[in-house]
Amino acid sequence: MDAKKPRAAVDGLFTMDPEEPRLIGGKCSSCGSYFFPKFYQTHKPTCSNRGVEEVLLSRRGTLESFTVQHYPPPPPFVSPRPFVPYGLGLVALPEGINIIGIMTGIAVEDLKTGIEVELVLETLHQDEKGNDLLSWKFKPVD
Amino acid sequence: MHPWGKFPRKSFVDLGVEAIINALNDAGMQWTDIQAMVSGCFIWDGVGGLLSGHSIAAVMGETGIPITNVFNVCATATSTFRAAYQTVASGEQDICLALGTDISPAGFLPIVGGENPEDCDYLRWKMLGITNPGYWALECRQRMERYGTTEVDLARAKVACSKNGALNPNALYRKVYTVDEVLNSPMVADPLRLLMICATRDGAVATILCSAEIAKRFTSKPVMIAGVGLGSALYGDPTARLGLLAAPPKTDVPMLSESYMSSQMAYRTSGIGPEEMDLVELPDNSSWHYLQYLETLGFCGPGEAEQLLASGETELAGKIPVNPSGGMACFGEAVSAQGLLQIHEVVKQLRGECGERQVQGAKVGMAQTYGMLGNSAAAVFKV
Ligand SMILES: [Zn+2]
Repeated sequence: MDAKKPRAAVDGLFTMDPEEPRLIGGKCSSCGSYFFPKFYQTHKPTCSNRGVEEVLLSRRGTLESFTVQHYPPPPPFVSPRPFVPYGLGLVALPEGINIIGIMTGIAVEDLKTGIEVELVLETLHQDEKGNDLLSWKFKPVD
Repeated sequence: MHPWGKFPRKSFVDLGVEAIINALNDAGMQWTDIQAMVSGCFIWDGVGGLLSGHSIAAVMGETGIPITNVFNVCATATSTFRAAYQTVASGEQDICLALGTDISPAGFLPIVGGENPEDCDYLRWKMLGITNPGYWALECRQRMERYGTTEVDLARAKVACSKNGALNPNALYRKVYTVDEVLNSPMVADPLRLLMICATRDGAVATILCSAEIAKRFTSKPVMIAGVGLGSALYGDPTARLGLLAAPPKTDVPMLSESYMSSQMAYRTSGIGPEEMDLVELPDNSSWHYLQYLETLGFCGPGEAEQLLASGETELAGKIPVNPSGGMACFGEAVSAQGLLQIHEVVKQLRGECGERQVQGAKVGMAQTYGMLGNSAAAVFKV
């Protein structure tokens, strides 16, 4: 039997570095705008070039807002059974871009804005062979 | 209009045809009087739905008129209205029909268009599972921290709408709620509870627009379109925009910038400002929207919406009656038809045909819709 091997639930969104994973974003060399994902570009209207270079976004940011979803979302999201309410955070990165991510490593009752969080990779769900499919999540920094 | 509800045995065509027939009867017109049509339908109906105007004209009887199909998500219906307005205002045609029709799936609106890894809407469902109320909750919590908005404030928005809806025979939900009932409804996306979020429903509305000269033939008291607005977002809009994974916030850009832009355009083209408005139908997709739109549309300053609501000034007898129809809280949202439902209410109010929910002496009214990915439309009416 093959060893179970974790992989990204969707490729190209983050690096697979197990210690220090990073989101793969884009940056415009002309107007300085940052994007995530890198294909979804939002340039300044006066941008002269609209060129994009791939950048790895900061791992750490500040929790600007959060919510706790109490009902299982529809597919393609795969919810655990039984469903457990989970947190979603809006995280401000130093680049001046806010990123949404699932919260981990903190009880939903303990979520509060202003805390420092960092990006981790965790299992989103497993495929039919039991391999872990990963996504980015945000975890409070100790 | 075709009433709002769930109609599993009907198609968007059935709803659209019924709405058109009702509008023709109201106007005293025949289908053959219609010289152009602009139509919009949401995404659940394949090619027939993309070409909703053509699908529906086939049933009404094909007359060779210009038909345009419009898609601007939740702002679709108001966008059909704007295009119909331009068709008449430009002098191209004298009588144009605007139609919005929608049959939605039950529950959370799911993903459209398959598993495309370069579609943010797919990624937000796949990687985050963030629902529409999830996005609104992220904004709502920031508002609570910024202005001290309480759960009671959020509940009051539902209560206020439910009082109006109870007086509207067209409304789907006619129960008057109390603050306690709203606060005891299940939590969906903290801090938003079930009764602070609108449901999705089916419905259709047809509106007939004609030149002022032609209108005299059909009615002695026409409602005039004072101005229309259509907006898209501004670079740097801080809103966590529904359907995206990231936002690049700039401090000097208003949130819901597309809605700010569409309302400003409607004020500019009509020459009528928020302070002169006798009533407004705004998009209360959630209680957060109710509060935020009071500010985005300029009915109060930043952080003042809670006080405006609590003071009763948004009730039927208040300074600025909000959602006299009961709004989405009492109808649910039929995505691509909702804007015309709002316009239907404003027109009925200005005609003085609203019975118990009539805003006394209403002469000027506004309808405003909101859609995902930077979409918003508005219209101002007067008599
Ligand atoms: Zn650029």
